[in-house]
Amino acid sequence: MKSLNIVLSGVGGQGIISLANVIANAVLESGGNVIVAETHGLSQRGGSVIVHVRIGDVEAPLIPPGNGDLMLSLDPIEAARYSVYLKKGSMIFVDNNITPPPLPGINIPSLDEIVESLGKEGFDIIVVPAVDEAKKAGNPLGANIFLLGASYQTSILKEYIKEEAIIDAIRKNLKKPEKNIEVFKRGKKWAEERLTS
Amino acid sequence: MSHREVLVEPGSRVVMLGNVAFARGALEYGVSFASAYPGTPSTEITEALSYASRILGGPYVEWSANEKVALEAAIGAALTGIPALASMKHVGVNVAADPLFSSAYMGVEGALVVVSADDPGMWSSQNEQDNRWYGIHAYIPVIEPAGAQEAKTAIIEAFKLSEKWRHPVILRTTTRVSHTRIIVETGEIDIAKIKRKGTFVKNPEKYTLVPAHARRLREELVEKWEKISKDLSQNHILNHAEGNPDSDTLVVAVGLGYRYAKEILATHGLLDNVRLLKLSAPVPLPKTLLLNEAEGREKIIFIEEGDPVIETLSKALFYDHNIRAKIYGKGTGNLKKTGELELHHVEKLLAKALGLEKTYYNQAIIKPDIKLPPRPPVLCPGCPYRAVFYALRRAVGKARIRPIYNGDIGCYSLGVNPPFQMQDTIVEMGGSIGLANGMAHAQDDKVPIAIIGDSTFFHAGLPGLANAVYNRSPMLVVVLDNRTTAMTGHQPHPGIGVTARGVEGTELSIVDAAKGLGVEYVKVIDAFNIAEGEKEFYEALEYVKKERKPALIVAKGACILLALAAGRRVGVYPVAYRVNDDKCTACGLCYKAFNCPAIYSKDDGKAYINELLCTGCGECAQICPFDAFEPVDEAPPEWLRLMREAKPS
Repeated sequence: MKSLNIVLSGVGGQGIISLANVIANAVLESGGNVIVAETHGLSQRGGSVIVHVRIGDVEAPLIPPGNGDLMLSLDPIEAARYSVYLKKGSMIFVDNNITPPPLPGINIPSLDEIVESLGKEGFDIIVVPAVDEAKKAGNPLGANIFLLGASYQTSILKEYIKEEAIIDAIRKNLKKPEKNIEVFKRGKKWAEERLTS
Repeated sequence: MSHREVLVEPGSRVVMLGNVAFARGALEYGVSFASAYPGTPSTEITEALSYASRILGGPYVEWSANEKVALEAAIGAALTGIPALASMKHVGVNVAADPLFSSAYMGVEGALVVVSADDPGMWSSQNEQDNRWYGIHAYIPVIEPAGAQEAKTAIIEAFKLSEKWRHPVILRTTTRVSHTRIIVETGEIDIAKIKRKGTFVKNPEKYTLVPAHARRLREELVEKWEKISKDLSQNHILNHAEGNPDSDTLVVAVGLGYRYAKEILATHGLLDNVRLLKLSAPVPLPKTLLLNEAEGREKIIFIEEGDPVIETLSKALFYDHNIRAKIYGKGTGNLKKTGELELHHVEKLLAKALGLEKTYYNQAIIKPDIKLPPRPPVLCPGCPYRAVFYALRRAVGKARIRPIYNGDIGCYSLGVNPPFQMQDTIVEMGGSIGLANGMAHAQDDKVPIAIIGDSTFFHAGLPGLANAVYNRSPMLVVVLDNRTTAMTGHQPHPGIGVTARGVEGTELSIVDAAKGLGVEYVKVIDAFNIAEGEKEFYEALEYVKKERKPALIVAKGACILLALAAGRRVGVYPVAYRVNDDKCTACGLCYKAFNCPAIYSKDDGKAYINELLCTGCGECAQICPFDAFEPVDEAPPEWLRLMREAKPS
């Protein structure tokens, strides 16, 4: 029984479902089995979003709390919210921008506070400037793919998914594929420069 | 969403949403007619069929006015001898329940599959409802796929079963089947088959349910049900037993429950130790199979999503046949009755029943010590409803009335949250006008204001409005016309004039409909114009107070996401707004009382706009008392038109 449970989280509209679809197609291209459980409908309207991606010898769609191996998140608040789904010591790749929930009179924790609280619990947190770098690359909606690039080489992902399969999945499933492939490569390069030293 | 993957070449392996796999299965079977009203988690089935129909020229696909009409249309089609599909969410089946029960009496000529997409956990619904009960109640077999993995096969088998018995079949799916992506292998689609037309052969003794006919048909139905039960009792391709035939334990895993049971048994290395009975054709209960498998076991465990339907039926069967095994399931309190199935819950049940010591899925949960703000779904930046709520609240204040906001099902349900809190009741589709009818006569101290969307108005608002005119119910009806069924992902409806097949339809006018029903006070306002809205709502409320009759206002303004998509297609983009720091006084009206998600407060309390989120609607500029919001540039006139008139393609 070999499996990989990935938790994707963020805010409705950030491209979490697209990211899940790219990962799922890359697993297919790599010859593996994959199940993706998504959130649609009401929850999409700027609400909190979690997508469960299960790879390998798996049957059921949902990751139970405490069983996730890896998280990719486009919002630090949502990363903290769904960290209950992760195993101790899991890697969390999270964008540095907080989207404040548009509710009157609420307290928004800072990125540092969130990173610190997750670090205390023994998670391995990698803050990735995905949105900022995607914007710099002229593809502001490509933050999800930058995050995938940044997490690919340094995480357990590479054991399940081939890099060519990701490129192929982007090409077949995303609009502006060349721009997104470029963003994926930039993400990978960012991680190589920051994380392997 | 088009879901193009529904039409990939035969023999491909592709990643597909469960709902798209249902659509593909229906096409491979040769479905010739498909009708639906959108509703989460059912919508993508018909979206994918709509795409297929545009490319292949068939099958006939329609978004119907509501679920009852969708099912009636599918019954009509099936009576002409072709295979028909009606898809809806679980509560839609309540709307369609009347023809559903009758359809079992009449049977069909071609085939009829009714998809009921249940939403345990209520991700996007007003209740949790297990529609397998409908099958038992209405004498209609139920097929329930073992996860998205079996979606395509299950719908094909549902059609085959319907065709074999000339009887309707319910296909029951749930959120985690419909909205789960899996790898699907595709088969052939016979285009001639999906394009075929039927022919109606008159047979009033069968198709007119007057009492004399219905009494006879009732006898026949009960007899037919026995025959179908017998047929499914032992062998059906979707039901089978696996594992150790001599085990003292039987796990009955129904539908999606099979995936949970199998994964846990596999993880614990128990697949060869216990007996696992997979049931994906559970209604009518496969009695012989169940009795054969239950005989002599000490423990029987039931795993099913929703209510303990099969557990309850099985227990009655076991009682009749003197089977006295120890039962574990939802009915015995061993598994959570609410929400969705989850691995750790099912593992707990199995651990208790089987005496497992080690657990894999019940792990220690790590909860970081930090207070996180909630993030409920909200009205989008630029949503015309925000401006309408704002204008309506001001008008209510000016008219010095106490309002009851009778809300309805749609994006405007989000008005229940702060800062507006302008949804006092939300019951079901059309319930806004319906409840207002009662409140208008049952009390005098408050004025009912029914708030209903355009698609919902055509779905179930019309009879309530007829009632309001007839019984002179003093109420204000606000129709929020955002040119689409927005919440479910921008499907067209009768007020749009675009059909599911992409061909032109007739665009119905909400104003003409209201006038035709006899509403004497009908006005249309620009949803994005707050001053106009305030004035018109005020005058309408004065009319209701004075004349004691219903008044209706259509607030017209496109769903901003629809307008943005329409703009992208023709290269027209909005112009964002920005805050003039010299004018902003940090009063907070825009981010507190108006609460646009694109407007944040800075540390000094002054507002600033996230240009990535701003849709250039200009609502903030209208509400700011200090004129602190200004457009970065002049907005293109074409954008201002799209904001008001865009519609689904």
